[in-house]
Amino acid sequence: MNCEECRSAISPFLDNELEPALADTVRGHLALCQECAAVCEDIASIFEVCRTDGEDLLTPPNSPALWRRISNVIESEIKPPPPVEPEQPTKRFWRFSLPQLATGFALIAVVSSLFTVIGIRVYSRPEASTAGLRSSSEETTMEKVLGKLGLISTPQQARDRHFAEQQKAIDYWNARVALRRAEWDQKTREAFDRNMRVIDQSVAQYTNILKQDPEDDLSAEMLDSVLTDKMNLLRDFSDL
Amino acid sequence: MSFCPTFSSQLRSALKLTAAAALVAMFSISAFSQKKFSRTYPAPNNVRLQLMNKSGTVTVEGWNRAEVQIVATLEPPAANVAPQNLSGTIVINLVKDNQSRSDIGNVNFLVRVPYTTMVDIETRMGNLNVSNVRGGLVRARISTEGDITLTNIGASAVSAENVTGDIFYDGDIVAGGTYRFASTRGAINLRIPFNSSFRVVATAPSTRNISLGVFGGGAINYIGDGRRVVGKFGDGSATLSVTNQQGSISFFRR
Repeated sequence: MNCEECRSAISPFLDNELEPALADTVRGHLALCQECAAVCEDIASIFEVCRTDGEDLLTPPNSPALWRRISNVIESEIKPPPPVEPEQPTKRFWRFSLPQLATGFALIAVVSSLFTVIGIRVYSRPEASTAGLRSSSEETTMEKVLGKLGLISTPQQARDRHFAEQQKAIDYWNARVALRRAEWDQKTREAFDRNMRVIDQSVAQYTNILKQDPEDDLSAEMLDSVLTDKMNLLRDFSDL
Repeated sequence: MSFCPTFSSQLRSALKLTAAAALVAMFSISAFSQKKFSRTYPAPNNVRLQLMNKSGTVTVEGWNRAEVQIVATLEPPAANVAPQNLSGTIVINLVKDNQSRSDIGNVNFLVRVPYTTMVDIETRMGNLNVSNVRGGLVRARISTEGDITLTNIGASAVSAENVTGDIFYDGDIVAGGTYRFASTRGAINLRIPFNSSFRVVATAPSTRNISLGVFGGGAINYIGDGRRVVGKFGDGSATLSVTNQQGSISFFRR
């Protein structure tokens, strides 16, 4: 028997599982071979330990708890199944009928056109205060409709606003003239009053005409002109 | 009896002497009471005259010299006159120069300028006269009352404006030019060449007295019950705007 055959038979030899003849052969080799004898002693000592303390080493102190922890770890690592996606519609995603949709699109088109027209008008047309008065005869049908709806100001409204602004300016210059007037000589005072009366006469004339006929664009233009003259006269005399 | 003729002749002589002395005194007082201001500036081409008076008559005449001559007659209390020559513009501003004074007398200007001068004159009250200029601009404005007389004008931009008083224009209508005449109460008379080309908007809302004279044969529209006349003559390259709130408008052939 060589050493390799001996070492493979050591474990059954120690467990008394070998044939008596083979056990004698192993025993004889171990008596002659120091290295195999050492291996046999090592294995024997391991067997001895297993027999005495093996129960404590192999069995965990609280095996049910350990198994629950293991079980929990395994369950947590298992991915949940993907959520079930709703069933995709196959044909239409809206719930409107075709006439409803057509009406909606038409409405959007009308509203956007309306705002575009208003925007262009407002952008391209200067204000009445800067560009003078706009005649009502120049008003387009669309502007008349929008004016009646209150979406844009009518020429008359713009005109009234313009006159109100002019009146504010006149009031301002009037106040300044009132401060200076006491220092004028008599000739200056008389000339100022005389010409102011002439202008006021025209202002009254056009104001009356416009009360009777608000559509009289020529009178509106003339009123604008004489109010400007009045403002200029006041301004000229405010620094005397 | 012989005394009477002698006494009579002596009395006549005394009266003559007294009258002569009174006349001399009157002229002397007048001469002493009025002051004169005179100044001359060399004028480059296209010089501009900018004059603002408070009261008095301003007369501007074109002449054949390259200089601007300013002569002012100052009535008492005499105003300060301080012309400035600012790089080609002669500026006289009596309102500014006498800002703190309210008692200044009339100042009558006679200003002679080269023919090509641009004239911009203004007064609070008084007459304005401009003649013999053909620069780019003639502007005359009276804040209150006074007549504006523009004669022999060849400018391409003309503006005349007053409240009370007449406006008279006698001059060319330059092709592409702009002409504006506006009064509140007075008469506006325009004397222009028959071959002038212009578009006109003439408005006399109160009187409706708009006389186009020989220019009445063009393309004319009456607007607002005759309160406004819109017309085109020739190729219509120049623009005329005439407004008289309470007076008349008349066109004459030059």
